[in-house]
Amino acid sequence: MTVTLTINGSACRFTGDPMTPLVDVLRRERFLTGTKAVCREGFCGACTVEVDGMAVMSCLRPIGLLQGAAVTSIEAMSTGDGPLHPLAAALEAADVVQCGMCFPGMVMSLSSFLRDSPAPTRTDVKAAMAGNICRCTGYERIVDAVMEFVGHRQGVRS
Amino acid sequence: MTDDLAATVMDLPRRDARDKLRGRTRYTNDRARPDMLQAVLFRATVPAGRIVRLDLSEALKCPGVRGIVTAADAPGQYGIGIADHPLFAAEVIRYHGEPIAAIAADTLEDARAALAAIVLEVEPVAPLLTMADALATDARPVHEDWRSYDVLTEGGARSGNIAWEAKSVRGDVDQAFARADVTIVESRFEVGRQSHVPFEPRVAIGRWEDGRAHIEASTQVPWTVRNVTGRVMQLPPGRVRVTVPPVGGGFGLKFDASIEPVTALLARMTGLPVMLENNRQEEMATCLCRENAEIVIRSAVTADGEIAAREAVVLMDCGAYGGEQVFLTTMTSHTLAGNYRLGAVRVVSRAVYTNTPPNGAFRACNGVYNSFAVERHTDEICAAIDMDPIAFRKRNVLRDGDPGPTGQIFEGDVLGPMLERMDALRAKTGTLKERADGRLYGRAMAVGTWFIFVGPSAATINLNADGSATLVTSGVEIGSGTMMQSLPQIVAGQLGLRPDQIVVREADTDASGLDVGVGGGRTTVSIGAASMGASAEVREKLLRSAGEMLQTAPRDLVLRDGRVEIAGRPGSGVGIPEVVSYAQSTTGPISGTGSFTAKNTPAMSGCAMGHFIDALDIPVFVVHEAEVAVDPETGHVEVLAYRVVQDVGRALNRRAIMGQIQGGVVQGLGYALHEEVTITGDGRIAQDSFETYRVPLAQDVVPVVADLYEGAPSIGPLGTKGAGEVPILAVGAAIACAVARAIGKPVSRLPLTPPRVLRLLHDIEPAPALSHVARDWRANTLIP
Repeated sequence: MTVTLTINGSACRFTGDPMTPLVDVLRRERFLTGTKAVCREGFCGACTVEVDGMAVMSCLRPIGLLQGAAVTSIEAMSTGDGPLHPLAAALEAADVVQCGMCFPGMVMSLSSFLRDSPAPTRTDVKAAMAGNICRCTGYERIVDAVMEFVGHRQGVRS
Repeated sequence: MTDDLAATVMDLPRRDARDKLRGRTRYTNDRARPDMLQAVLFRATVPAGRIVRLDLSEALKCPGVRGIVTAADAPGQYGIGIADHPLFAAEVIRYHGEPIAAIAADTLEDARAALAAIVLEVEPVAPLLTMADALATDARPVHEDWRSYDVLTEGGARSGNIAWEAKSVRGDVDQAFARADVTIVESRFEVGRQSHVPFEPRVAIGRWEDGRAHIEASTQVPWTVRNVTGRVMQLPPGRVRVTVPPVGGGFGLKFDASIEPVTALLARMTGLPVMLENNRQEEMATCLCRENAEIVIRSAVTADGEIAAREAVVLMDCGAYGGEQVFLTTMTSHTLAGNYRLGAVRVVSRAVYTNTPPNGAFRACNGVYNSFAVERHTDEICAAIDMDPIAFRKRNVLRDGDPGPTGQIFEGDVLGPMLERMDALRAKTGTLKERADGRLYGRAMAVGTWFIFVGPSAATINLNADGSATLVTSGVEIGSGTMMQSLPQIVAGQLGLRPDQIVVREADTDASGLDVGVGGGRTTVSIGAASMGASAEVREKLLRSAGEMLQTAPRDLVLRDGRVEIAGRPGSGVGIPEVVSYAQSTTGPISGTGSFTAKNTPAMSGCAMGHFIDALDIPVFVVHEAEVAVDPETGHVEVLAYRVVQDVGRALNRRAIMGQIQGGVVQGLGYALHEEVTITGDGRIAQDSFETYRVPLAQDVVPVVADLYEGAPSIGPLGTKGAGEVPILAVGAAIACAVARAIGKPVSRLPLTPPRVLRLLHDIEPAPALSHVARDWRANTLIP
C-alpha cells in the first residue's frame, strides 16, 4: 500500500505495510529520531507528534490511516540555529532536563495543550501531563517552568 | 568560602538541554543506519532446564540472516566477585529469558522471523523460584559447578546457592542480649524488586575494526563493558574499544555489562556493524532490578533508649547469577548499622541464587530497603519502650567519634545537626494535617546512611590556544548532569576559565584512563578529583610559562577571568591564549593528567568478613520526612508533603541538586507505594510493560522541599559528595513509617499498594514468616 502525507512540511510517500506505526516511519524511514519509541503502547507519550494540529501518540497511528495528513514532529518546532520553541526555551532556562528522552514528547503535548488553554492552573498542567511519563525529574520542576512560562506569556499579552 | 569554591559554585544550566529539547540528541538507539545489521536474542522460555539439542541450520537459511552466535562463540564467564555468568546459556538454563543465541539479519523483521526456525530441545528441571526454596537443605544448586568458577575477589564465604556471604561482628552481642535491663525487639521484613524503566533500553552497536571490537553502547560503565567483552570473547580487553553517546537514563541498570558483547561477536562474524536493542518487554522481563530481600533485625534496648546490641540477617535474591548483589552484601552492615550508635552488633548478609532473572544495581541499591527495615524497626523499638521516635533518633544517631558496624570511627557530627535542620524546615513549611480531610493521617521522619562509591578514575586536560580546555575522562552523561555541570564548573574554577570554555569529551576507552563508571554517586567526587589533579598540572605549566613571559615568579601569579595575572593587580599580566601559544613554541602544548582512587579507610581488625570495602571512605546521610493521608475505604495512600535534609558535602550547583532530589524522591515514592514486581509460577517477571508496572505520573507527586546540609567531612574535591544517588535512600522508610502511624498497624512489606493497605487495615495481611531464617544468628552463617 502507498500512502502520501506531509511530514514537517515536506511531501512524503510511504510504500509498505499500512499497519506500520507512524513512529517507525518517522524514525526508520525519515531518520527523525527526535520522536522516541519508548513503550510503543500509548502509555508514555515520548512519541507524541501533531497530526493535523492534534497532539497524538505516533506509536498508535498506523500509517495507513494517515493518507493526506500533515504530521509535525519535534524537529519542526525550531529550525536550524534559530531560537527554540518558547516553551522549550522556558524548560532550558529552568534547567529541568535530565536524560532528556521524554522531553520531545513533553514539548509536543504541552505546546499543543498551552495553545488551547491560555490560562491553565497548576492542576490543569499536571492533568495535561498525565500521558507523558518522565522517569528522571519527578515532574514538579517541569510544572514550575510551565507555570512560569504561562505567567510570562500572560504578562506579555496584557 | 575559598576562592576555589567561589569560582566554582553556580547554577550553571546544562549545555545538552537545547539539543535534547529539540530532538537532535542522538542516543545510542537513535543511531541505526540502513547498512547496519539488526540483531535479536533467542531466549529461554523455561526458568530452569538442560539444553538437549540446539539446531541453527534452518535459521541460518532464513532470508536476510547473516550470522548466529551461541555460547560456543563466547566461552568466557564474567561477574562481580565470582565469574559465574556466561553470555549465553551453554548446557544449563538458569532463568526465563536467558539468552541462548543471537541472530543478526538485514532487518529486524528478518531477524525476528528467523527466531522461529531455531530448534531447541530442553529437558526442564524444577525451578527454585524463591530464596526459601534455594536455601532448603536438600535444594539443588542453581550452579552445579560453583566450586570451579574463577574467584575475582577473595574473602567471601560461598556454598551451593549462597553466592556470597559477608559478615560484620563488633563487640559481644550475646552478652548484651542476656542483660537483665534490656527489652528485645524483633522485626521481620520482605520487599520485592524495583524495575528501573530507563526510557532508552539497553542497546549497543558493535563494529569490528582493524582487528578490534568497537562497541557503542548505552552504558554507565564503559570499562566494565570493555573488560567483560574481553573475558567472554577470550580476548585481551585492550582489543575492545567502548564509546558512549548520551544515555537515556540508567539509574544503575546500566552499571553492569549485559547484551553489549553480543554485538562485538556478531560484528566479527559478519564483518558488518550490528545493532542490538532490547524491546520494552525484554528490557523489563530481564531487568537487573533492585533485588527482592528478606530481613530479620533484633535489638536489645534499655528503658532509656540505649541500643545495647543489634543483630540482623539479610537475604538478597541475586537471581540466576551473582552480579551486583555479591558486592552489595558489603553494604548491608553500613545501612543497617551505620546510622545509630550500637553497643555491639553482628550482621550477616547473603546473596542467594534462584532460577529468576538476575538482579543488579539500582540507585542506592539495598540501602533503600535496609533503611526501610531499620527505620520501621526503630519505630517498633520506640513503641516497645514507649519513647518518642524523634527523641529516640536524636539520642542515638551516630556522632563524632562513634564506631560503625565494622569498627570504623565516624568523623563529625552530621546526622544530629541534620535532625535539627529538619525540625527547622518543618517549622518553616508548616504541616498539612488539615489536607487529610477525614482520612487517616500520618507523619514520620526517617534517617538513612549510604556511601559514595569511590574507586579509580582518570582525567586528562588539554589546554588549547583559543583559551579553551578539553577534558578527557571515561565519564558518561546519564542524565544526572555531572558531565554537563559539576565537572566543567570544577575545571573552569581551577583554571580561571568560564565553564563554557571547557569541552567535555564523551567516554572513549581508547582516549581516557580507567574508570569504574558513573554510579554510586561517584562522578563528581572521583572524576572531579581526577580532574582537579589534571587541572593542577595544567596550572603549574601555565604559570611557569607565564612567569617566563612576565619575568615574574610563578608563585606571584594567579589565574582569573581567562588571564594569568600578577596577584593583587587585576587586569595585569597576559591572556591564557598568549601563554598557551608561547608554551607551544617553547616547551610544547600544555596538558595535564590526574587520577584518583579509594582512600581505603580502615575498619577495626577482625570486624569485617567477606566485605569488598571494610569501611566507608565517604559516608553520606539523609533525613526525610513524609506526611500521608490514607483512605480507609480504598487503602489509597496520598502523599501530602515531603521534606528532605541531605548531606551534600558542598553544593556546587544547588539548582541541579534540587532537580536530583525531586527526581530521586519520586522514584522512591514509586517504590514505596505502587511499583510492584512479582515472579510468576514459571519464573517470569510478571510486570513487563508500562501497563502492568506502575511508575509515578505527574498527578501522583508533590513538590519536595529540601535543605542542603553542607560542611560534613569529605575527601571529595572541594568537599563535595555525590548528590544524585541518595535522594531515593529513605523514601521507603519515611512513607512506611508514616503509613504505619496513620493506620496504627505494623508495615512489614513494600510497596504499600491499596490492596496491601486494606489488608493491613483489616488485619488480614500476614506478617512475614521467614521460617528459613534460623532463630540463632550463627546458624545463618557458613562459618559460625
